[in-house]
Amino acid sequence: MTTSPTTAAEVVAAVQQARAKKSPLQPVGGGTSLQFGLQSSAPVEQLSLAQLNRVVDYPARDMTITVEAGVTMQDLATTLAKEGQRLPVDVPQADRATIGGVIATNWNGFRRFGQGPLRDFVIGIEAVDGNGLLFHGGGRVVKNVAGYDFCKLLCGSLGTLGIITQMTLKVRPLPERSAWLACGVNDAKKAEAMLAALQQSAVTPAAIELVSGSVWQQQTVLSELKLTPQNFGLLVLLDGTTTEVLWMKDHLRREWREAGIVNPLMQDGTAEPWPAVQEFSAHVDSPLTVQASVVPSGVLPFVAACRKRDPDCSVIAHAGNGSVFVRFARFPDKGLGELLMGDLQPAAAAHYGHVVILNAPPGAAITHRSMWGGEAPLGVMTAVKRKFDPFDLLNRGRFVY
Amino acid sequence: MQSIPSPSAPTLTRLADALRRAIGAENVLTARSDLMVYECDGFVIEKNSPDIVVFPRSTADVVKIVKLCNEARVPFVPRGAGTSLAGGCLPIGGGVMIVLMRLNRILEINYRDRYAVVEPGVVNVHLTNALKGSGYHYAPDPSSQGACTIGGNVATNSGGPHTLKYGVTVNHVLGIEAVMADGSVIQVGGPAEDPLGLDLVGALVGSEGTLGVVTKVWVKLTRNPQAWRTMLAIFESCDHATQAISEIIGAGIVPAALEMMDQGILVAIEAAFNFGFPLDAQAILLIEVDGLDAGLDQQRDQIVELCKKSNAREVRLAKDEKERLKLWKCRKQAFGAIGRLSPSYCTQDGVVPRTQLPHILRKITEISAKYGLKIVNVFHAGDGNIHPILLFDERDAAQVERVLHASNEILDACLACGGSVTGEHGIGVEKIHFMQKMFSPDDLQAMDNLRQAFNPGGNLSPMKMLPTAGGCGMEQKHPGRRAAL
Repeated sequence: MTTSPTTAAEVVAAVQQARAKKSPLQPVGGGTSLQFGLQSSAPVEQLSLAQLNRVVDYPARDMTITVEAGVTMQDLATTLAKEGQRLPVDVPQADRATIGGVIATNWNGFRRFGQGPLRDFVIGIEAVDGNGLLFHGGGRVVKNVAGYDFCKLLCGSLGTLGIITQMTLKVRPLPERSAWLACGVNDAKKAEAMLAALQQSAVTPAAIELVSGSVWQQQTVLSELKLTPQNFGLLVLLDGTTTEVLWMKDHLRREWREAGIVNPLMQDGTAEPWPAVQEFSAHVDSPLTVQASVVPSGVLPFVAACRKRDPDCSVIAHAGNGSVFVRFARFPDKGLGELLMGDLQPAAAAHYGHVVILNAPPGAAITHRSMWGGEAPLGVMTAVKRKFDPFDLLNRGRFVY
Repeated sequence: MQSIPSPSAPTLTRLADALRRAIGAENVLTARSDLMVYECDGFVIEKNSPDIVVFPRSTADVVKIVKLCNEARVPFVPRGAGTSLAGGCLPIGGGVMIVLMRLNRILEINYRDRYAVVEPGVVNVHLTNALKGSGYHYAPDPSSQGACTIGGNVATNSGGPHTLKYGVTVNHVLGIEAVMADGSVIQVGGPAEDPLGLDLVGALVGSEGTLGVVTKVWVKLTRNPQAWRTMLAIFESCDHATQAISEIIGAGIVPAALEMMDQGILVAIEAAFNFGFPLDAQAILLIEVDGLDAGLDQQRDQIVELCKKSNAREVRLAKDEKERLKLWKCRKQAFGAIGRLSPSYCTQDGVVPRTQLPHILRKITEISAKYGLKIVNVFHAGDGNIHPILLFDERDAAQVERVLHASNEILDACLACGGSVTGEHGIGVEKIHFMQKMFSPDDLQAMDNLRQAFNPGGNLSPMKMLPTAGGCGMEQKHPGRRAAL
């Protein structure tokens, strides 16, 4: 069953009802990330935020916007573009994904390298906790240290501390020009050297993407990269004024030429990414999609660990930040828990990271421990959860506690 | 009203002995004359001496201290360099002050993965100095960066002039090791982004020492920009200067820094540094754009044009790196120059939406006239983060009273136009009574819930930040000794 409140007060009422009935709630935005994390252990009532979809205030000259949680990323982008602005967070299925859901899952797009993570853009937040308390953090100004930072705390909390109802975002001007440069790289050693060089380069990319696997081999626009199951593609996005982008393009080509890359593939003058760059993780035809967060130097070793288990897996990494997305070609024979505990979590942990599931078949057996295998102060997290949601109503059983 | 019971003398004597045994007598201060140094931070209006000051040299020392304090039921408060401006490390009710200045090692610098691991007592600029020549720096640059510590920056979520483009402290912290109020040690985050579970790093940064004692910090390193263009725009009126700010931001330009100084502060800075500022100007803007050399002249020209459109009398360009550094020295040491203007000063910290800057500056002028107080302004204009500096003499109780009233009125005006009562200095004790104006009872309940999860007994940094912390509905009373008394 689904309820669809139209105001924050109705969200409060829905939580109070759930509390009275002791029945858990699953807050839902566009429904694009319902597979994220574990599946709820109890039968759930869904609470849709889709009708909380108003733009509350958009003082464009202050470069902030206040919106309700159910506004889709596409509508948000359209509103901001009218004033020459944007939230530089690119998500898959932007026509369905809502800003509330993006914040709850701490989704970060490929522009994170140049523009910073999503959490840096959330400057005010409103949510309803499991006690039915409608609470706020932050405000509507770009700099503010009054009180505890609920914006950060709720970002990535998977709706388990509060149902996010409204937020104020800091926005950025749209770049005058964007360009992509791409090249094929033969092996992991060379790829690592090129990634490290990009960090030292005078060029300041907006995104540094490393790709590999069959998904990319099938992209006809990338055919010049001559991708094989063993090599890699390196995709670099340049954002800025025309003068800046042209200078960076020229400079990067020169740097790459010295590294033996003669004719990089280019796509200039459009902000549109190559197909699949933005939508990669949304493809549900893959039996298993995971995301690893590791240090940047851990990207290639983690990809190697995945290829060892499934030579046909496909990968995109926001390599400058250490976010790796892997689509496996087949479901692991020995089950998901074994794959995670046996290989993926240790491979990520070796580089200070951990792995989460973005998409797995319904009923894939997985334990709490294998899902959330990394090191974290769970005691304090659980204490916070108990204060905000003492009856364990919100997304029960899906997160780390 | 419930207040913190002061620990008894025998309890304190026993605790001091136990602390000496635990961390060494050379790391414990109890003599009245020694403790005086720690009776306030940069917020000098209220003072109270701690009973004991300790200097841990390791995380293990902090654990021992916290456990001993808990056993003796004596409150404790962490402190860095004491440069904070809102009384965040005022030891209310006395107790033990944990000074983290001797935990001051840079433990690791990793360029490939762009992070450094530091202890909390590392002075902000020492990290940037350690990175010299590498092409990297640590971005948050509070004006006090020559003295303030990274641990203190984490506690207050410090900003600085260049945070307009690069973000404040929380945007640059990857991980924290902290000793909890019960003496347990946790590590949240680390070298990699997006740590598992809740973003407790985000909760700890800016918590003003109320959620834990920070003992280690993983910070991001930022690439140095290839080039800069630094400009000085001179205006005949504050209104024109604030108009220019609005035009620049409104045009979608994000400078690295955009600072405003009014005539009152310019006079003092000029007397101190002889830069050659025009003393007849009513306001100047210090504007810096950085990034790729290729794009900067275009941005500079655009800014010059927008300033001229807003009636700038003149826009000067810093001719070389030496002049640029001198300009920044003038800006960052402006507070030091204030001693030339008056014996005491109170730096306020408020935020307004950037388009409201002309309004709030006019309001400050009115408030200055109403209370007969000289107020000068030097602030982070690009963020809408104002720093009116109220000049007074702390020996005159009537003046202190007027300063408090004028400050309150300025902050009320910030709230009235949709702003905040603090952009980077924190709530501390100074602004605790504003929390109820800025947040609803439910908001404050949620904040109290978070504090209870971390710090259930309330023994860590009591009576700070939340009006409810450590007492039931505590009225705003100035808990320490008034400066003027």
